[in-house]
Amino acid sequence: MSAQYAAILVFLLVAIAFVAGNLILNRLFRPQRPYPQKLNTYECGEQPVGGPWVRFNIRFYIVAIIFIIFDVEVLFLFPWAVVYKDLGLFAFVEMFIFLLILTVGLAYVWKKGHLEWVLARRTPRT
Amino acid sequence: MDNLSSLSYFIPELTLTVTLLLVLCSDLLHREQEGLDFPAWLALVGMFVAFVAHFGLYGKPAVSLFEGMIAHDPFAVFFKGFFIFCTFIIVLLSIYSSEVFYYRKSEYLAILSAICLGMCLTASSTNLIMLYLSIELMSIGSYLLAGFARSGGKTDEAAIKYVLFGAMSTGVMLFGMSILYGLTGTMDIAGIRQVLFANVSSDPVVLLSFLFVLVGAGYKIAAVPFHFWCPDVYEGAPTPVTAFLSVASKGTGFALLIRFFYRAMLQPAGEGTWSSLPAIDWMLLFAILSAVTMTAGNLGAMPQRNIKRLLAYSAIAHAGYLLMGIAALTSEGIASILFYLVMYLFTNLTAFLVVMILVNRTGEDEIPSYRGLWQRAPLPAVVMAIALISLTGLPPTAGFVGKLYLFIAAWHSGLYWLVVVAVLNSVVSLYYYFRIVRAMFLETGPDTAISHQPVYETVLVLLAAPILLLMIFFGPVLRLAQYCAQMLP
Repeated sequence: MSAQYAAILVFLLVAIAFVAGNLILNRLFRPQRPYPQKLNTYECGEQPVGGPWVRFNIRFYIVAIIFIIFDVEVLFLFPWAVVYKDLGLFAFVEMFIFLLILTVGLAYVWKKGHLEWVLARRTPRT
Repeated sequence: MDNLSSLSYFIPELTLTVTLLLVLCSDLLHREQEGLDFPAWLALVGMFVAFVAHFGLYGKPAVSLFEGMIAHDPFAVFFKGFFIFCTFIIVLLSIYSSEVFYYRKSEYLAILSAICLGMCLTASSTNLIMLYLSIELMSIGSYLLAGFARSGGKTDEAAIKYVLFGAMSTGVMLFGMSILYGLTGTMDIAGIRQVLFANVSSDPVVLLSFLFVLVGAGYKIAAVPFHFWCPDVYEGAPTPVTAFLSVASKGTGFALLIRFFYRAMLQPAGEGTWSSLPAIDWMLLFAILSAVTMTAGNLGAMPQRNIKRLLAYSAIAHAGYLLMGIAALTSEGIASILFYLVMYLFTNLTAFLVVMILVNRTGEDEIPSYRGLWQRAPLPAVVMAIALISLTGLPPTAGFVGKLYLFIAAWHSGLYWLVVVAVLNSVVSLYYYFRIVRAMFLETGPDTAISHQPVYETVLVLLAAPILLLMIFFGPVLRLAQYCAQMLP
């Protein structure tokens, strides 16, 4: 029983040895030139430490939401594609209605200019 | 029933979906104008078609749709009609409202249709996942609309408070649902009941999980102690949105509570009565919740100077009265809730329409600005008085009949003390409702007449007439409510 897990144990040990060995080798051969930016925690394009009340652009959310919509769309497309052969025409029509509804969303954000990063300021007509 | 054959039971929702998409598309092709423009027509026609289509559902037998996700029963059909009618009226009110940006009207109308769709789905969901998704669909739209007013400040506060309270309470509700799933191993609400009653589970965790779900529903109906958002949101949101929240959102809360509670926690015991798990006294729990809610609402309303805040506390008090119907644990209780909601729909929308007319023309929503309204705008003043009398529950209005049936339902279940508390509360409410009536009719204000859109006069009369008519011809509506108290077992 436990013999079945021996491979996993070996794999674990090799993995640990691989990472540790690489880090030790690196330490031995790499040049040592630390400076503050290098020691910072990595955060994509942002200061990692700061006050919590910074304002950041609301457009990040819009881009994120658009991304999620189409991400989820793909998520639904994969299982559909896998069983497509068994489901036939009905599934085809159903999925295209779903895609059509999502495309309305894409058309909407496009027309409203949310795909441009620099948004023209909308002013109310008087 | 499978997905494809379920569609014929789903026509109102499909109409709403199509309306939503068309309104969004019309926003792209069309430049919005003030008043009744193309997107507004689309929304009105869509709502009207959906409302007409829902009548076709009454004749069909009760079944479970979409592989057990959604129920088709008289209860669901009733609420669909309720929500679609309410949304139709709100669209009509919003079109001419000065509080809503006219150049973002399509967006507003699309969100409104989406909320209506979410509400219809909430009333018919029989699966925890579906239930939660529909509640979120309506909640997220409501958060957006609460912050839709032109003026900043209070409307932002309203939206933020609504979001924070909403996120918290739906989060707690989701936690409760997950515990229930852990206890019973099923997402189907009727399946939960089966497991709970088969094991005669007196586990305190059952009570806890239900209380967690109650947080979500209690937040929607603004029951104490989940009512803190109510006055601030009602005050800050644009008046049509406030009206919508006070009627449709409360209706959704009750649909959710009745559907979930009666289907998961109670078992039909014949002749319109329901039995609960032996260890838990639901009747006492709901009776206490009801008594506390109505008392807190009425006492809170007394010192208010702002009419929207006053109506918010009044909405809390009415949630308390409505909870009496749930505490009764009978079909009679459900029927009286449905009847009361119909009367509340007309009464509250009328009151908020008058508030909106005044806000549009004078920008005021404090009670002193209602002084002498009788001279300045006779029709709104008279109609407002009718609505306030109905809210108090005095004849000759529908409010009297509605309250009477709630009290009778509670009395039949032996909740005598609760009926006494409710009657005392109605007396208390007389004080603050009639403060407005006194200001309108007995005090004098500035002489300037208040003009309003001619379409509002028609809407006012159409909304106020049922309040008076329901006092006399309550029979058909009552029979409808009794019929619609039936749910899928």
